[in-house]
Amino acid sequence: MEEADRILIRSLRLFGVELPEELQSLREFSTEMIVEAVVRCLHVIDPSLVSGISHMLPPGMSARFRIGMSLAQACQDLGFQGEVGYQTFLYSSEPDIRQLLMFLVEKLPRDSSEDTDQPIGKSGALQRAIAAKIREQLSLPWMPPSCRTARLQRMQGCCLMRHFHTQRLVLPEKCPFASDTVSSDVRDFYEKYLPTVTAQVSRRAQLAASLLERSLADVSGVQEREAEWKSQGLASRLSYEEYWQRKHQRLQKRVQEQLRQCSQRPTGSQFSAGASEDLMDTLSRSRQEQGKGSRSTPTERFTFKPELASSAGLMAVAVESLPSSRKLDQDNRTQQEEEVTSLQQQLEQLSVQIEEAGAEVKKLNLGLMQVEDGRKQSELHLAEKEDVMKVKRQTVALLSDAENNLSKLQLVVESSTKRIVHLASQWEKHRVPLVEQYRELKKLHQSRELESSRRLSDIKEIHEQIRAAAEEAKCKELLYKQLLTDHENLPKDVSRAAYTQRILEIVGNIKKQKEEITKILSDTKELQKEINNLTGKLDRTFAVTDELVYKDAKRDEAVRKAYKYLAALHENCSQLIETIEDTGTIMRGIRDLEEQIETEAGKRTLSNLEKILEDYKCIKQENMTLLSRIREG
Amino acid sequence: MRLLNYSEKHEEIRPATHSQNHISHLHDLTKFLHKIIDGICGRTQPRYQDYGSLWNMTEWLEVLEELAVLFKTMVGQNMSEDETLKQLDGLNLSHQQAILKCLKGRKEEIRHSLVEKSSAMSSAHLQDFDWQLKLALSSDKISMLQMPLVNLDLDVRENDKIKSVSIEMNKEELQNLINSLESANKVVLQLK
Repeated sequence: MEEADRILIRSLRLFGVELPEELQSLREFSTEMIVEAVVRCLHVIDPSLVSGISHMLPPGMSARFRIGMSLAQACQDLGFQGEVGYQTFLYSSEPDIRQLLMFLVEKLPRDSSEDTDQPIGKSGALQRAIAAKIREQLSLPWMPPSCRTARLQRMQGCCLMRHFHTQRLVLPEKCPFASDTVSSDVRDFYEKYLPTVTAQVSRRAQLAASLLERSLADVSGVQEREAEWKSQGLASRLSYEEYWQRKHQRLQKRVQEQLRQCSQRPTGSQFSAGASEDLMDTLSRSRQEQGKGSRSTPTERFTFKPELASSAGLMAVAVESLPSSRKLDQDNRTQQEEEVTSLQQQLEQLSVQIEEAGAEVKKLNLGLMQVEDGRKQSELHLAEKEDVMKVKRQTVALLSDAENNLSKLQLVVESSTKRIVHLASQWEKHRVPLVEQYRELKKLHQSRELESSRRLSDIKEIHEQIRAAAEEAKCKELLYKQLLTDHENLPKDVSRAAYTQRILEIVGNIKKQKEEITKILSDTKELQKEINNLTGKLDRTFAVTDELVYKDAKRDEAVRKAYKYLAALHENCSQLIETIEDTGTIMRGIRDLEEQIETEAGKRTLSNLEKILEDYKCIKQENMTLLSRIREG
Repeated sequence: MRLLNYSEKHEEIRPATHSQNHISHLHDLTKFLHKIIDGICGRTQPRYQDYGSLWNMTEWLEVLEELAVLFKTMVGQNMSEDETLKQLDGLNLSHQQAILKCLKGRKEEIRHSLVEKSSAMSSAHLQDFDWQLKLALSSDKISMLQMPLVNLDLDVRENDKIKSVSIEMNKEELQNLINSLESANKVVLQLK
């Protein structure tokens, strides 16, 4: 029982029952400890059962009695089969308490222990650690900054709270878009001038943040690429590089289209800012000029030249006339103004003329183009007509010797038809196998297509499997680590091996006992059989002897005496057997009674009786005081 | 034209101070150029203290400005080697080679930072973010609250000024934000 008690005590301690360290068996339990243990267990099993019951025994006797009653009720509600009442707790006997506590411990929820078996994973462990840390910090009171110790300063101060600012770091790497090898200039830069990452950040605090950010960006970029490749890239049936190239091209095209659309929008509607409007203006103007330029500029230049020359000549005339007319300032000025106005008029006239000339030129150009078109068309006509004329001339030449030529022509026609037929048959000869080949190839292609799509789905499946397997492996690894740490954290005082060994021993003992019991049972059976045999034999012998002796007894006196003795002997013997049997039953009864006495002695009846008497006295006293108080009141 | 002027000046001053040791002079020049490129790419610029003996303040600012513009135009317009050399006309050959070498070595980096800058040309963009997890122990109405709150700090760059935006969210709000960011990321992935 010692082992069982130790297990029981350990599990009770696990659920928060405060028990003294040196406690070894249930016999040493006091009433207070029993009540506390039962209340704690009930609380863990179902808090509503013991909602109003404290785990400390109150001093008043009647209150104790009430607690005992409610605990007994709760135990029965839980489905405890044995006998339970207030006396079980207040006047405990060891076997009753053991039975009850075992029942309760078995009823205790296992999930808390199962929880530790489940893998909680890295994040779970982290969350647990965070929760522990927060709990620890919450348990500490807040201190004003000046009163903090170094540890508190670290915990409650803000010296560890830095902003997470990052900077882009440059690391020696292969540029993904450039050629495969690093050019010598870049290598030179990496080797000689690139500062270390610690020197690249402007503030030391940014180093860790920048490094984290950088590696995170790299990893997430690769992961996203991989994910997309696996989901969409595989389905497109392109190689890895081709897929990305294709995508890049598509994107570029889209961006270009967007830009083009934006630039073709009417000015002013979308862009209200002046600068962009100007930009649009210049853009559109330059486009128009480009469209026109090639045709119009040379002619315009050509036509403008003489006009420019003439205007230059006019200017020269004006300049010559200027110095000669210097008589009166007023006159001069008016003259000049007149000249200016006249010149301006001339200029305007000229510009009008220029415009007119430009329009004329345009018109002429148009006319020229039309004429050109007409010329081309008539040339085409001419060529056609020349062809017709050639044919006609040939026929006219042939007409002179009509019959001969006709037959010749017929011959030629026939031979050409023959040739055509021949060629057709030859073509057919070639075509049939080619068509067949084509069909075969088509079929082959289709089957290959099917095969490839099947393979593709296989590959996808395998990818999935790989990922699943990797995840599973990770999970298992985590679980393994978790279990290892759990195993290390487990209390070493109760060794599992000892338990199992003990259990195995007990099982072995039970087996041995069972064998002995069966042996004894078979012995008893044999004995019973023998006894039956013997009694049967005895009965038969007695009957035979009785008969023989009785026959002779009528004739002989001595024999009659012998008969009487025989009867007496038989009777005595049967009496003897009966007595022996009675002794056996009595002995058994004695043993039963002795056992009962022992169990009763185990129940501490005497001490319990004394306790009951004392409690009875207490209750009486309490009642008396209550009565007196009532009377006083 | 200004560029050429500067380059000549640069040319004049450099040999005047380091003429005795040509190799170390070239090395220093390359180092200086790399530092300027660092500045273009958003890291620390060269400090005036280190070069104060060569230029006065206005010259120094001019030097920085001109060199930055030089590198930016060279990369931005994707000049070929000949065109670049034409720009550097008037410098001696070893200096031209040094500048060209720097440019070749850092071309991708400069291009990247230029692209980043022009793609961030809208009115405001996110520069950096930081978060803190807080546990609200109680509120004005509830004494035991114990609600986790996340404090998200966004560093938003607006007109070359960094403005910090701070948001406090509870669990559901954070989930909402994460969901919308994830859907945005899906769209971005299609453009990658």
